[in-house]
Amino acid sequence: MALLEVKNLHTHFFTREGVVRAVDGVDFELERGRTLGIVGESGCGKSVTALSIMGLIPKPPAKIVEGQVLFEGRDLTELDEGELEDVRGRHIAMIFQDPMTSLNPTLKIGTQLTETLRRHLGMSKDAARKRAIELLEEVHIPNAAARLDDYPHRYSGGMRQRVMIAGAIACNPKLLIADEPSTALDVTVQARILDLLEELRKAHDMAMILITHDMGVVAEAADEVAVMYAGQLVERAGVQDLFDRPEHPYTEALLGALPHVDEEHVRESRLTTIPGRPPNLVDPPEACRFGPRCPYASLNDSCTQVEPQLRELRKGHWVRSAHPASERAGVPAEVGA
Amino acid sequence: MTKFVVRRLVWTIPVVLLVILLTFTMMKQIGGNPFRQTERAVPASIQRNLERKFGLDKPWYVQYAQYVRNVFTFDLGPSMVLRGRSVNAIVKEQFPRSIQLGGLAMLFALVVGVPLGAVAALKQNSTADYSAMVVSNVGFAVPSFLVATLLIYFVSLKWGLLPTSGWATWRHKILPPIALGLGPMAYFARLARGSMLETLQQDYVRTARAKGLRWRRVVVVHVLRNSLIPVVTAAGPFLGFLITGSFIIETIFAIPGIGRYYVVSVQARDLSVTMGLTVILALIIVVANLIVDILYGLLDPRTREARA
Amino acid sequence: MAVREEVVAEHTAAGAPIRQSSLWRDAWRRYLRNRGAVLAAAVFVLLVLYCLIAPIASPYDPYEVDFSQAYQTPSWAHPLGSDQFGRDLLTRTALGGRISIGIGFGATIAILLIGVAYGAISGFVGGKLDDALMRFLDALYGLPYLPFAILTLAIFGTVNFWTMVVALSVASWFTAARIVRGQIITLKENDYVRAARAVGARWHRILLRHLLPNTLGVLIIAIFLELPGVILGEAFLSFIGLGINPPNASWGSMAQDGYQAYRVHPHIIVIPSVAIATLILCANFIADGLRDALDPRTRET
Repeated sequence: MALLEVKNLHTHFFTREGVVRAVDGVDFELERGRTLGIVGESGCGKSVTALSIMGLIPKPPAKIVEGQVLFEGRDLTELDEGELEDVRGRHIAMIFQDPMTSLNPTLKIGTQLTETLRRHLGMSKDAARKRAIELLEEVHIPNAAARLDDYPHRYSGGMRQRVMIAGAIACNPKLLIADEPSTALDVTVQARILDLLEELRKAHDMAMILITHDMGVVAEAADEVAVMYAGQLVERAGVQDLFDRPEHPYTEALLGALPHVDEEHVRESRLTTIPGRPPNLVDPPEACRFGPRCPYASLNDSCTQVEPQLRELRKGHWVRSAHPASERAGVPAEVGA
Repeated sequence: MTKFVVRRLVWTIPVVLLVILLTFTMMKQIGGNPFRQTERAVPASIQRNLERKFGLDKPWYVQYAQYVRNVFTFDLGPSMVLRGRSVNAIVKEQFPRSIQLGGLAMLFALVVGVPLGAVAALKQNSTADYSAMVVSNVGFAVPSFLVATLLIYFVSLKWGLLPTSGWATWRHKILPPIALGLGPMAYFARLARGSMLETLQQDYVRTARAKGLRWRRVVVVHVLRNSLIPVVTAAGPFLGFLITGSFIIETIFAIPGIGRYYVVSVQARDLSVTMGLTVILALIIVVANLIVDILYGLLDPRTREARA
Repeated sequence: MAVREEVVAEHTAAGAPIRQSSLWRDAWRRYLRNRGAVLAAAVFVLLVLYCLIAPIASPYDPYEVDFSQAYQTPSWAHPLGSDQFGRDLLTRTALGGRISIGIGFGATIAILLIGVAYGAISGFVGGKLDDALMRFLDALYGLPYLPFAILTLAIFGTVNFWTMVVALSVASWFTAARIVRGQIITLKENDYVRAARAVGARWHRILLRHLLPNTLGVLIIAIFLELPGVILGEAFLSFIGLGINPPNASWGSMAQDGYQAYRVHPHIIVIPSVAIATLILCANFIADGLRDALDPRTRET
């Protein structure tokens, strides 16, 4: 049994402006000790997917309208708030994008670390404090014992993210969700935070979901990759397979493999410009979400009429498109369409 | 923290000097000193004597310096109209009542307003939220003289539960603070609600929830404390306002406090009393703001260090 | 920023290029969607119109004394009853409203003018002058509001419409100045202002064309935020006998008349007080609606 199985997840936001279908069809599995990278542009539903797993979506306006999140076989969407609280921080932990705002500015770092330990492991004040020092040492914060009594504003951004990580691994969770953990940091600090995450993941034998918009990060850290577009999972495969043989036109664009993308962007191997904008998720295209921007869409009427389903193209390689690369033989792309 | 408090204390000195200067200038502008205004003709020689006695014949800056010295030695001089009474005596007698009234009103406003706002925020868009907001919107809009009058009319006259006026026993001290504190109560409720809603959206609250903390702890430790910061900030001016702005409530409930006497002194052109009371009122506000700043520093470690 | 705003912002009005005209149109559209604010605005306008028209249209002379009609309870002839001089309260309320609302708007505008001048100079010039002006403002926060209004009236020695406006604005412009300064400083850092500066626009052009127009939204909100305080201030002063002289009336002085007789005729104090409360309630809802409309990011659903 997989550690985590997300099945046909749909999370919608019911707002005054209409129903925002932020997550609208996400499926994946994650085995113990493995790392799944979720990539996509901002607003594609990566973060909402993560928050849905944690049961942290803001209710109202958001609601999981369909689907399951099976953690060790237990459907988290069925749990009440109290049961979810027992899972969060204990078995699944999460760190967020912006370490500057993710720590409570009015509480000492020590308090923010020990409260997790005391809550889940029932430690005494002294024991929790001792463990908190060890945790800070584990994330390489010098002079840990003294820094426990500092407030967050005394820490730099990178240091704060280390504190966040220390808090997340405090109870030896089986799964760590890292939502853009390095995006808000200095370039020089980014790599160190990612290295630290990988080091701790191995040491604690955790599985990890790494959410990012940076293909470079995925290539380095992930075992498997899920690509999201406009609330849907559009492609999922092992990292090697995905980079060698991307199938979905959107993934190809992300990897800079589309014919009209200029050389410079290919080398950077990160998000490149694709003509058009992602669809409005209040009123998304009825059929293929990527259709309006897809260079192959006009070739086949089905793109504007039938919503493509996620299908397993070859072992372990799933794609949601009527025109995956390997089925496109002989069909030329409309360059610049 | 000590350094911060000291810095803050030192800063009040120029503030007080400026406030005294402004008051002093305004009093000078009022002109009409009581010895010229009397309808009976006072002989010129007596008038000059009186003016000399009160120092009104010296240049303004000498008078100002003199007055500042008096304020800092807690001697506000004699009343110009009530013979034989000093401003100090008036303050000593009336001031405690006003402080008590203002303090009780503040207590009422905070103890009722903050929980009302907090509950409304935690149950956003529920019936409880809507009722709390109706109460707070109406409470904020209704002038205190109507509240006071209606309270007396119903509670005292119709139902005979509490006395209509005075400030002697605890039974006298229930209606006036409610009438005075209703507006601020409504304001705090709105402020606390807004502040709670904003704090609930903060990333660190999400972090606290992601750690699996019990909801009660998230609210008490992570949300309430941070939400109180703007409430405390707003409470300072209100504390000053409640103590100094009780003119109407003191009049309606016939409480012999400083506010009621202030109006009398202005109308009687009792300059030394008006000025003494104005300065005292300004000092109260300065002290209230000082207390708030210190509380603010206690609640928020960042300001504590930034300003120290 | 919270997820909810992110999600909503990205998929609704997201990132549309902003032109002034469409900005105001959007704000108007958002305001109309807020039912409470629309209702408040309607009541507000009706109340003001009523105060303007009623004294002319009413069959009663609001000044005429007729002791045979004194202290009438509400009836068909006098829907709100009459006061101690037998004057029709429905008509008197309109008259009092003219003065209360007039003074209210007068003082609010005075507050904003002083606030804009002070705040704009402080924010625009910046540096040491800004520091000094803000320190001075901090000190002024120590002034007790009503006592200073009373002192101002005492200096004039007479109470009329204009002295009342001055008295009410003299100790209450500090917040407006703070708001304007904050807004100017934020705007100064904007790219389009930097661009204007880079191409060598003169300082007065930057201030008048780029900075001040963009504080307009804040100022419109500020009108309705300041109005309740000023209206209440006028009512308080009139209630303690420092208001407009009879036979003219404001809502505050009418309340004072009613207070004299409340044990027997409680409705007389209730009428002007409810008028004050209605106006303040409307102003608050309008301010909330405007804030939501002009600054969608701070919206609470």
